[in-house]
Amino acid sequence: MLVTLAQPVESVPDASETRLSLGPAAARNLATTTKSVPQMQAISSRWLLKVLPWVEAEGGTFRVNRRLSYEVGDGRVTFTDTGSGPAVIPAELGELPLLRGFDEPDVLAALAGRFERRDYEPGDVVVASGDPSDEAFLIVHGRLNQVGTGEYGDRTVLGVLADGDHFGDDSLTDPSSTWDLTVKAVTRCTALVLPQRAFDEVLAQSEALSGRLRWFQANRGAQRNEHGEADVAVASGHEGEPDLPSTFVDYDPAPREYELEVAQTILRVHRRVADLYNEPMDQTEQQLRLTIEALRERQEHELVNNPRTGLLHNADLKQRVRTRGGPPTPDDLDHLLSLVWKEPGCLLAHPRTIAAIAREWNHRGLHPDPVEVHGHHVPAWRGVPLFPCNKIPISGHHTSSVLLLRTGLENQGVIGLHQTGLPDEYRPGLTVKDMGTDGKAITSYLVSAYFSAAVLVPDALAVLEQVEIGREEA
Amino acid sequence: MTAVEPAESVEHAEHRLSLGTEAARVLATTTKTRPQAQAITPRWLLRRLPWVEAAGGTYRVNRRRTYEAGHERVACTALSGRFRVVPETLAELPPLRDCDDEDVLSALADRFEQRRYAPGSILVGAGEATDRLVVVAHGRVSQLAAGEYGDQVVVDVLADGECLGTEVLTGAPGTARFTAKALTPVIALTLSWQAVADLLDASPSLRAHVERNRDRPLPPRNKKGEAEIAVASGHAGEPELPSTFVDYDPSPREYGLEVAQTVLRVHTRVADLYNEPMDQTEQQLRLTVEALRERQEHELVNDPRIGLLHNVHPSQRIHARSGPPTPDDLDNLLCRRRKTRLFLAHPRTIAAFGRECTRQGLDPGTVEVDGGVRQPAWRGVPVLPCDKIPISRRGTSAILALRTGEADEGVIGLHQTGLPNELEPGLTVQPMGTDAKAITSYLVTAYYSVAVLVPDALGVLDDVEIAR
Repeated sequence: MLVTLAQPVESVPDASETRLSLGPAAARNLATTTKSVPQMQAISSRWLLKVLPWVEAEGGTFRVNRRLSYEVGDGRVTFTDTGSGPAVIPAELGELPLLRGFDEPDVLAALAGRFERRDYEPGDVVVASGDPSDEAFLIVHGRLNQVGTGEYGDRTVLGVLADGDHFGDDSLTDPSSTWDLTVKAVTRCTALVLPQRAFDEVLAQSEALSGRLRWFQANRGAQRNEHGEADVAVASGHEGEPDLPSTFVDYDPAPREYELEVAQTILRVHRRVADLYNEPMDQTEQQLRLTIEALRERQEHELVNNPRTGLLHNADLKQRVRTRGGPPTPDDLDHLLSLVWKEPGCLLAHPRTIAAIAREWNHRGLHPDPVEVHGHHVPAWRGVPLFPCNKIPISGHHTSSVLLLRTGLENQGVIGLHQTGLPDEYRPGLTVKDMGTDGKAITSYLVSAYFSAAVLVPDALAVLEQVEIGREEA
Repeated sequence: MTAVEPAESVEHAEHRLSLGTEAARVLATTTKTRPQAQAITPRWLLRRLPWVEAAGGTYRVNRRRTYEAGHERVACTALSGRFRVVPETLAELPPLRDCDDEDVLSALADRFEQRRYAPGSILVGAGEATDRLVVVAHGRVSQLAAGEYGDQVVVDVLADGECLGTEVLTGAPGTARFTAKALTPVIALTLSWQAVADLLDASPSLRAHVERNRDRPLPPRNKKGEAEIAVASGHAGEPELPSTFVDYDPSPREYGLEVAQTVLRVHTRVADLYNEPMDQTEQQLRLTVEALRERQEHELVNDPRIGLLHNVHPSQRIHARSGPPTPDDLDNLLCRRRKTRLFLAHPRTIAAFGRECTRQGLDPGTVEVDGGVRQPAWRGVPVLPCDKIPISRRGTSAILALRTGEADEGVIGLHQTGLPNELEPGLTVQPMGTDAKAITSYLVTAYYSVAVLVPDALGVLDDVEIAR
């Protein structure tokens, strides 16, 4: 702040000057001050709570019944770093399709111990298409492109691999296989590599593992559709009188049940304050109002971040994509939209991520038209509104995520769960229970909000991960 | 004055076949405009601010109690090329917060050394030991951090008194988390660790103060610095629930209504006789009121106590990244608050922004404001002109972004209506009688103020260069 030097303060009258009439400072003693209700900085627009359709979860539990699906283990591997470099947690190897549900700690530990660390610089070719594939890769940190050959011989990026991803593990089952893709490092990368020879050594020592290998090779192709659901056999386009397939729609025998989560606090108000100081504002009501704002903020935070029900943790792994270059480009948003292509409802991102997205738009000379939602102009991409949500975390390295949701019970989207008609209900799904007054004349109120969010089918929610929001150097 | 010309019309009168216009004018009445004034502007700020009644002349803004950790920003003065830190503002820095020992503060301010850096030079490198406090007195510095994959990303742009390495003041040097790189020629004021150590040794009171600030942690608070409302969530079973209450700011800010006044004098002879077709007093009043309203808008922007430019919270003051007001800068300004209702900028700043948009091939579009008037907009938020925002001699100005309205915890205008002799809301005309020179005086007064209900309702993009 640059201030000019010593400006004489002209408006304040000289102390020696005697007033001829009553001054405003003295007059204020008689006048009533107009007062604002207490203001709170931490209130945000809470768009997530506004866009989610809230569905009654009577009985406190909501069961999402789905068709039976044969999930293949295609999760992400987690690593530890004990100071001597990264190591894979043996039990985490169960995320690989080959070892899913394989419960032999000794064998897993033996496999985990044989991984070797390798580092790559940006631009390094990790594996080349056509070379014999005799290694399994686990990516500890970094971003890699899977480069394939396009229809007409040009090179195309087919996918992006990053932290926790793996490739080459199914080639271990087939010693004569070759790589069908080239994998190239985009950033500095660290990977753990299991050579074929190390795998074969463990295989030779363990009867359980070789039995597992035979079972895996035999069970590769169960009858399922592209979403992993058990097939509903349907005949079509036939002529004559062939035998029609008989079928039934199988349900998931262990459907997921969502219980309502709770956010609670005890609000204390002294009787003397609550009884006397009520003009012009009711003290208890103002205390409650701000406490409820804080609870609602926490509720939105939990809906995004809770490890059990939070949206960031409930996105299916196939619905998680990485940015191609780092910053959130329009191309990445288009990729995200292709994952929730059935009636996408809204995009959610941290305000700083939105600024980074806008920057990418500006650099490409794009100015997407805003859309109007509840009377507000909201920026939008391809007509899907982009709402700010400051509950989406930003990592210490300035990366964040963008969420894309389809909402609504009817179109199998993401829904919010709550229960109304509760005793002592103050707002829908929020109760204020008088807990009585204690020996210090303090009245306590138990304020509880009950809520949860359910993703009805996995393709209702997609996440763009590792969005770099630190501005690139111009 | 040119020489007297012969009266042509008289000379050629005999040649005319009908009555000339000159002669006809003698009989005709001239149609007259009302007096026009060039200084009248649309006054968008006055039109777009929601005006709230401040009965009793004072408006108190109650807020939740906040525990400020201090800001990493001080004020600097410049005197013929020498910069100096304003000593009192050093007490804004976290290690020195609430320090009111003026001697110690000015001793600290005296020990700063001035240094110049060329564009591109590194002021502080990430990972280096912080051996000095750096104040960016003039120029722009980008703050860089290591990104996810080891490359550098820009975190922020520092300028105008923002500081780096304030932990030096505790006497215990740490490690710099960010790299600071000069974007323009930079004049920085540096305070070495050694100078601080000497002063800490010389002044036990300063050492005690610094240690107290270091050892006494702030009470639990949320991201915005507000006293925490303890809430438990996501728990199962029967844990003990936190008890809480919402604390209020014990000394809330009160806004008295400011005043703009003038005494309008009209000679009774003028007021009595020359009233056809326009009432002379009314026209005098109309123009006086216009001038008062212009002044009112000027004060709402520039008044050192209530003016918007002087009431921006340090965390809401951002700097243009490259100099001119680019779309990126406006996006940065926009992402700092919810429901931004309007941008306010000098017309020349708007022209500079338009130039930047054109350069990037963007058409920002327009929106309809106040029924029918189309104004340029950015992301659907109107960019309204206001010539009261000053432009410095070096051609820099500011862009304000406002959320408005009492319900949205925004910026509100304050006035009081139902005053005696009210002419317009919040504006009175009080006849003061007629003096011995037959001059009638009227006291014309406008009462107004503006209040920012929470800090993030008002942001400013500072130091935008519009003269490029």
